[in-house]
Amino acid sequence: MEEQNESRKLTNAELELQADAAGAGEVKRISYAGLIARRFFRQKSAIAGLIVLGVMVLIAVVGPMVCPYDYTEPDFAAINVPPNAQHWFGTDGGGFDLFACVAHGLGRSLVIGISYALLTMVIAAVIGTAIAYVRGWGEKVGMWILDMLLVIPSFLLVAMIVRAASGATGWLVLILGLTAFGWIGYARTLRTMALSLRERDYVKAAKYMGVHPMRIIVRHLIPNLGSILIIDTVLGVIAGINSETAYSFLGLGIKSPDTSLGLILSQGSSAMLSGPWIVLIPSLVLVVLCVSMQLIGDGLRDAFDPYSRAAGSVDDDTDDDGDQK
Amino acid sequence: MARFVWYITKRVLNYVVMIFVATSLTYFLASSFMSPRSNYESRTPRPPQESIEASLDRANLNDKTPIMERYQKWLGGIFTKFDWGMTPQGGSVNQEMSGRIGASVKLMLFPTVLSIAIGVSLGVYTAQRQYHWQDRFWSGVASVFLVIPTVVLAILVVFFAIEINSAAGTRIFYVTGLQSYTGGNVFLEFLDFLQHMILPTIVLTIISAVGYHLNQRTYLLDEMHADYVRTARAKGLTRKQAIRKHALRASLIPTSVNVAFSIAGIFTGAVMTEKIFAIHGLGEYFINAINGNNIHGAVAVAAFSGVCTLAGALLADLFAAALDPRIKMS
Repeated sequence: MEEQNESRKLTNAELELQADAAGAGEVKRISYAGLIARRFFRQKSAIAGLIVLGVMVLIAVVGPMVCPYDYTEPDFAAINVPPNAQHWFGTDGGGFDLFACVAHGLGRSLVIGISYALLTMVIAAVIGTAIAYVRGWGEKVGMWILDMLLVIPSFLLVAMIVRAASGATGWLVLILGLTAFGWIGYARTLRTMALSLRERDYVKAAKYMGVHPMRIIVRHLIPNLGSILIIDTVLGVIAGINSETAYSFLGLGIKSPDTSLGLILSQGSSAMLSGPWIVLIPSLVLVVLCVSMQLIGDGLRDAFDPYSRAAGSVDDDTDDDGDQK
Repeated sequence: MARFVWYITKRVLNYVVMIFVATSLTYFLASSFMSPRSNYESRTPRPPQESIEASLDRANLNDKTPIMERYQKWLGGIFTKFDWGMTPQGGSVNQEMSGRIGASVKLMLFPTVLSIAIGVSLGVYTAQRQYHWQDRFWSGVASVFLVIPTVVLAILVVFFAIEINSAAGTRIFYVTGLQSYTGGNVFLEFLDFLQHMILPTIVLTIISAVGYHLNQRTYLLDEMHADYVRTARAKGLTRKQAIRKHALRASLIPTSVNVAFSIAGIFTGAVMTEKIFAIHGLGEYFINAINGNNIHGAVAVAAFSGVCTLAGALLADLFAAALDPRIKMS
């Protein structure tokens, strides 16, 4: 009787320790990442998004290898032909194989989208949390500068930089230009998030122990924004792909001889009657790509959110087991 | 009241400083990335060197003049005569821009109103039916439209319009410009205007209605679960009454802030839509300016957008202060 009362007062952690002491196999542990992964894969839409993205990456990587044509070499024997067995996605008015172009452009879009998202998130996380952490005048000045940089729509500022992009390295200039003004909005949001974090005891403790501010930012503040950062990075990929498409379509981003989905769209939009497949196929690829990223982002958000349905319930678990058996 | 005026004055002063710094930075950015000289040097036959220098000097665009000197002259023109400078061809930026603002307003006005009406009503409708099929359907549609690039949306709309045109055998939809009818019949002229406007209006309405829909849904859901709505229900109001009289009102405050920014956006136009539908508004002017090394034109559009953004921010503050009793001006 007394022992039972005793055990009731134990915390979960102590109970786990007891179970551990009792021997292996009593408690099945999973890491935080494992937990998030389990919650993520509980959602059918997220799995679908991941599979579609996988297929897209496969097309971008393997496509150019299996396709008999190169995106730089026109086939003059087949100009403006609809999709057929030889040219899987057809050819455009210049005789370029559309499958080769789309596969190459898809790779460009993915590389640009992913590097843009990663770079902006790193910059935004460091600057946003640093502004929140310094307080006082530093914070005021930092916020003023961020607000000032947001006054002029960044679409216009980026356009000025990326217009210089050309040739084979144009996509690098595009990534740099997009990143140069892409982080500002995110930095503002992350600073707001960091406002409550900076009041936490562990941050204060680290500060009074004399830990270097940069170390506090990197080791304590940023990891605790982790879930938001991961979700925003995935959604940032969509923003990067959208921007690439927009600038290349306007003739400011990727230019020939390189190619991208936006550039194919802009070339195809003038021949919509004679070759509808030239605009429809890249459009479809872009829509599928963006929607799959969106599904993954939503799935991640639910996986990180302890109150969402993805957290599952006791009933869910028994159901799952029942299905498996 | 005096406090309120002081608060607003302080805000406006801060905004003026911001605009000044941001525009100056844009000027330096544009000057370092654009080269009006190449406009002349790439001409065939290439004009004589002296004439190139003279034209560049006349437009205050010569990169051989130190940048600070050019900047001072440009700034002087704006402050003394409100002259935003010349294009590399020698045209006046003021003149070229003023006509285009009208075209942008013509294009943006209707879609802005329409998207607010549709977006907010959809948001209210779906929030009241959370997790029902209506909510799932509309939120699904919205999240697809949220992520697909504007270019793709516009191109698909144009594609289907052309298909309909060729199926019908006549031109129902025009895909470029704002007007093509030149006769005197007012009714036909209006019909012609509608035929041109309908496609860009569809595109712009979808793009911005999606944002209003998803935001309004979130705001209303947040308010619906607030304590004061439960109190209202406990006092005997029906669910519908409690939502309409209490939750809806509070949820419209953040929406009105978004509306304020949209009003400012009417004047700046839409770059992608204007380019695709060949509407000669400010957005298209900006792209042409960038492609044509028109430094002064590009900076003027950027500055104008900045003024509109901050006017929107100020308007948003005023809306929030007028509607939200929790906000005090201090």
